[in-house]
Amino acid sequence: MSFGHWFLTLGGMVLMLGGLLVTVAFMVYAERRVLALFQDRLGPNRAGPLGLLQPLADALKLLTKESFAPPFVDRMVYELAPVIVPLTVLMSFAVVPLSDAWWLADLNVALLYVLALSSLGVYGIILGGWSSNSKYPLLGGLRAAAQMISYELPMGLALVGVVMLAGSFSLVDIVNAQDVPFIVLQPVGFLVFMVCGVAEVNRLPFDLPEAENELASGYNTEYGGMRFALFYLGEYMGVLLIASLVTVLFLGGWRGPWLPDVVWFALKTFSVVFLFYWLRTSVPRLRYDQLMDFGWKIMLPAALVNIVITAVVGIAWM
Amino acid sequence: MSLSEELQSRFQAQATSLPKDAVETYHIPKDQLTPALRFLKHESDPAYDMLFDLSAVDEAARGDGLTVFYHLLSFSANRVLRLYVSLPAVQPIIPTACEIWPVANWYERELYDMFGVDIVGHPNLRRILMPDYWEGHPLRKDHPNRATEMEPYRLPDERYRRILESVQADDDTESGAGEGEMILNIGPNHPGTHGILRLIVQLEGEEIQDVRPDIGFHHRGAEKMAERQTYHTYIPYTDRIDYLAGAQNELPYVLAVEHLAGITAPPRAQVTRVMLCELFRIASHLVWIASFGHDVGAMAPPFFAFRERERLFDVVELITGGRMHPAFFRIGGVALDLPDGWREAVNNFIKRMPKAVEEYESLLTRNPIFRARTRGIGTLTTEQAIEWGVSGPNLRACGLPWDLRKIKPYSGYDEYDFDVPTAHEGDALARTEVRLAEIRQSLRIVEQAMARMPKGPILAKEARYALPRKDRALQDIETLIHHFIAVGWGMTFPPGESLFITEAPKGMNGYFVVSDGTPHPYRLRIRTPSFPHVQCVPIIARGHMLSDLIVILGSLDYVLADLDR
Amino acid sequence: MYKLIFYLTAVIAIGAAGAILIVRHPVHAALYLIASLLALALLFFLLGAPLVAALQVILYAGAIMVLFLFVMMVMDLRPASNERLALPKGWRVPTLLVAALAVELAVVVFQAPLSGDEIWVSVGPKAVGQSLFGTYLIAVEVAAILLLAALVAVLYLSRRSRP
Repeated sequence: MSFGHWFLTLGGMVLMLGGLLVTVAFMVYAERRVLALFQDRLGPNRAGPLGLLQPLADALKLLTKESFAPPFVDRMVYELAPVIVPLTVLMSFAVVPLSDAWWLADLNVALLYVLALSSLGVYGIILGGWSSNSKYPLLGGLRAAAQMISYELPMGLALVGVVMLAGSFSLVDIVNAQDVPFIVLQPVGFLVFMVCGVAEVNRLPFDLPEAENELASGYNTEYGGMRFALFYLGEYMGVLLIASLVTVLFLGGWRGPWLPDVVWFALKTFSVVFLFYWLRTSVPRLRYDQLMDFGWKIMLPAALVNIVITAVVGIAWM
Repeated sequence: MSLSEELQSRFQAQATSLPKDAVETYHIPKDQLTPALRFLKHESDPAYDMLFDLSAVDEAARGDGLTVFYHLLSFSANRVLRLYVSLPAVQPIIPTACEIWPVANWYERELYDMFGVDIVGHPNLRRILMPDYWEGHPLRKDHPNRATEMEPYRLPDERYRRILESVQADDDTESGAGEGEMILNIGPNHPGTHGILRLIVQLEGEEIQDVRPDIGFHHRGAEKMAERQTYHTYIPYTDRIDYLAGAQNELPYVLAVEHLAGITAPPRAQVTRVMLCELFRIASHLVWIASFGHDVGAMAPPFFAFRERERLFDVVELITGGRMHPAFFRIGGVALDLPDGWREAVNNFIKRMPKAVEEYESLLTRNPIFRARTRGIGTLTTEQAIEWGVSGPNLRACGLPWDLRKIKPYSGYDEYDFDVPTAHEGDALARTEVRLAEIRQSLRIVEQAMARMPKGPILAKEARYALPRKDRALQDIETLIHHFIAVGWGMTFPPGESLFITEAPKGMNGYFVVSDGTPHPYRLRIRTPSFPHVQCVPIIARGHMLSDLIVILGSLDYVLADLDR
Repeated sequence: MYKLIFYLTAVIAIGAAGAILIVRHPVHAALYLIASLLALALLFFLLGAPLVAALQVILYAGAIMVLFLFVMMVMDLRPASNERLALPKGWRVPTLLVAALAVELAVVVFQAPLSGDEIWVSVGPKAVGQSLFGTYLIAVEVAAILLLAALVAVLYLSRRSRP
C-alpha cells in the first residue's frame, strides 16, 4: 500500500468523524425543531439565528460538566460502556458508500460487518445498566439485552432477500445492483428491517431500555455530563446509520437522476431520519412482553417467509 | 320494620333530629358498631354498599371526647346515612371496619394518625399522612394550629439518621423477597408518579407481586387550616385540594355551607357556577389525557392537551381573573358578574374543542399500540369498585352510570340535557373512553348554560351570610358596616353539620362542615376521590408488568394534593 | 504488517483468555471472554476467512455472550468476597491431558513449514455456502436436526409446571 493511499484513508476517516459529529449535532437540533412543529410549539430558537447554535451550546454545556461517577458503580465497566455505543456505530460507517466513489472501505462481507458491529453496540447499553449498580439501570440493561437478541435475528434475516437479489454482501455492489430500488422488490424485507432498525437504536415505540415513565431514565440513569452525552451521541449516530443503511439497501443508495450522487444519498437518508422523528411523536411505547411477542411472532416469521418467497420467485425467474 | 326502627331496636341507635343537610343520622354505641355496619351493608333495606367516608370530630372545644362519624352510601336507594360513635378523649378505642369494607383501611389509619384513635383489629395500624416520627395527632384541638404556637422544631443528627434508616425500602436480601424477587422503590420523586408519591414494588422479573403505596408527602393540613379560617377565607384553600379542577372544589364547599345557612344562590350565579365547573372538568380531563398519554409513552398528547387547556384558562381568566385557582365562588353566589365578551370567548372555546377531542382519540383510543397497552390493564369489577370506594369516571368505566349530576342533581343540573358516558370493561382503556366522552358532554352543558344564562343578581340576598358587594359598601354606611364586620371578623353560621357531595372530575367529592356558631368551621372534613383510588392500586396492579403499574396509576387519575390534602 | 497485527491479536486473545482465570467478578470474566472472542474473529479475518470472522462476532460475541450477561444480570452474580481461588479436587487428570495437548500443539507449530504468505487464500462467503450446502449438506442437516431436537427439549424442560 502506498503512502498516498494511507494518507487518503486517514484523511477520509478524519473527515467522516468530523462530518458525522456535526451532522449528529444538527440532527438533534432538527429533531427538536421538527417535533416542535408537530406539537404546535417552537422548539429551540434562541441560540443564534433560528436557534442554529443550539447544538454548540449543548455540546459546550455537556463538555464542561463535572464528570461525576457515583461511588457505588463498577468503575472500569462504567467508564467503558458509554464509549462502546458510538465506537461501534462509527466503525460501521466505514463501509457505507456515500456515492460511487466516496467510501472508506469496500469489504466483501460489508453487510455482515455492519450487523456484527451493531450486535456489539448493545454491550454499551447492557454494561452501562449493569455497572451502574442500581435497580433502574439494571432493569433497563436487561430490557436492552432481551430486545437486542429478539430484533437482531429478524433484522439480519430481512437482509437475506437483498443479498440474494444483489448476489453480494458488499454495499457498493448492492447499490450497483439496484436498477430498481429494492424497496419495490423487497417490501416485506424493507418493513422488517425498518422496524428492527428502530428497535436496534431504542427509539419510540421501542425505547424500553430508557422508558423514562417507568425506569426514570433506564440504563443511563446514573450517567451525567460527557458520559451521558456519549450514549446520546451513539443513539443519534445509530439513527443516522440505520437511515443510511435503509438508503443503501432499499432505496438505491446514491443513484438518482439529475442531482449529484451525494445529494441523492443525503436526501434519501434524511427522509428516513425524518420518519424516525415522525414515529417518535406519533406513537406510545410498547410493553416488554408485547415487544418480545412482536419480535418473535411477527417480525421473525415475516422475515423467513420473505426469504422463501424471494428464493422461489428468484428460481422461477432464472 | 323500617330501617330506623330496626337500627334503634337491634343496635340501640339513637336517631338525632334531622341535621341541616337532611342526612339520616344515628348515634350508636361503640360495642354495637361492627354488627350495625355489617347489618347496614348486607341485610338492611336499602343496603348501604359503599363506605363513603370515615373520620372524627374532636369535641374538646364544645364538650368532651371524640365523635367518630361514618358516611355510608346506598346505591340502590341513592341515600346517605351517617353514624356517630362517641369515644372518650383519653385512649379512644374503636373496632375496625376493614373486614366489612376494605376501603376502611386507609381511612382508619388516617383516623389513628389525626386523632390518635386506636383501631382494634386493624391489619396495619400506622400513620398514613404524617411521618411516622411525628409527635401528636394534628386534628386534635390541643394540637397547635400555627407553627408559632409550637416549640421550635429540632432534629438532632442522630435522630435524623435513625429516621432515614427507618424509611429505607427493604433490600433484596431481606426476608420477604423470595428467589428472583426484587424490591423496587418508585418515588417519592419519579416521573411516573405525577408528584410525590412513593410506591414500594415487589417484582419478580418485571411482574408485580405486590405494591405498597406510601403517601402523605403532599399533606398540607387542609382540614386543620379550615379551623382557623373564616368560612369565606377558606374558599381559596379549596381550590388547591384538587388543584387541577379549580372551581370544582369550591362547589361542594360553598354548597355545604349554604345548606348550613339555609340559603340558595340566585339563578344567574348557579348557571355561572355550572358553566365554570364544567369548564374545569374539561381542564382536569385535559391534564389527565396529557399525563396518561405520557405514561403510556406517547409524546404528543401532553402538548396537544395543554394547548387546549391554555385556551380554556384564557376563558377562565377573562371571567374570574384567575387561571388555575380562581377562588370565584362565594357563599350565596359568585364573586363577580360575567364580563363583557364572555359569550364570544366561551363560544370560541367550545367551537374548537370537538376537533381537539377528535385528535386525542386518534392519538390515543384509536392507536393500536395504545389499545394494546391499556386493554385489560387494571381491570376493576363494579363490585370491587364499590367495595373500594371508587367513584367518578373510574366507576362509570365499570358500567355503573353513577353520576351525581344525574342521580342527585344539584345547582340545577337536572335542567341540562346531557348523557352519562359509561363503558363496561372497567380497564384503563374504558376509563380513557369514558373521560374523552365526558369532555364532549361537558361541552354540551357549557353550551346550554351559555344559552340560558338568566339575568339577575349574582349573590343571595341574605346579608347575614353573603359577602356584601364592595362597590355598594363604598356607597352606603349600612353595607359598609356589614362588609367591615363580615370581612374583618368573619360571619357566623348557625350550628349544625352539613355534608355535600358533588361529582368532581375525579369522582365523588364530599365536604362535611361542622359548625359551632363561631366564624370558623369547627371541623371541616374533605373526602376526596383520589384517596380511595390510590388505595386500590395494589389490588388491581398485582400480576401485571412494571410498565402496567404506571398505566394503572395514570388511568385512575389522582392528584397528589387531592390524595394527601 | 500482517505479522505484526497477527501477533498482537494473538497476544490479546491469549491474554484475555488467561485473564478470565484470574478475575473474580463473573461479569468481568465475561468481558474478557468477549475480548478474546473478538481477537479470534480478527485472526480468522487475517487468515482469509472473513465470513467466519463476521459470524464469530455476530453469533459468539454478539448473541451468545449477550445471553450470558443477561443471565448474570438476572441472577445478580457477585463475587463471594472471602472465597479464595482454589483448585478443584479432581484437577490432576485434566491437567495431564491439557499438558499433553500443549506438547502436541508445540510439536505441530514448530515442525510445520509455516510462513504466513504461503497459505493465504481468502475464502469468500459464496465458497463457504457452496461447500456447506454441497459437500457437507448431510452433516449440516444432521446438525440442524440435532439443534432442533435440543430446542424442543429446552422448551419442554423450561415450561411452566402444569396446573
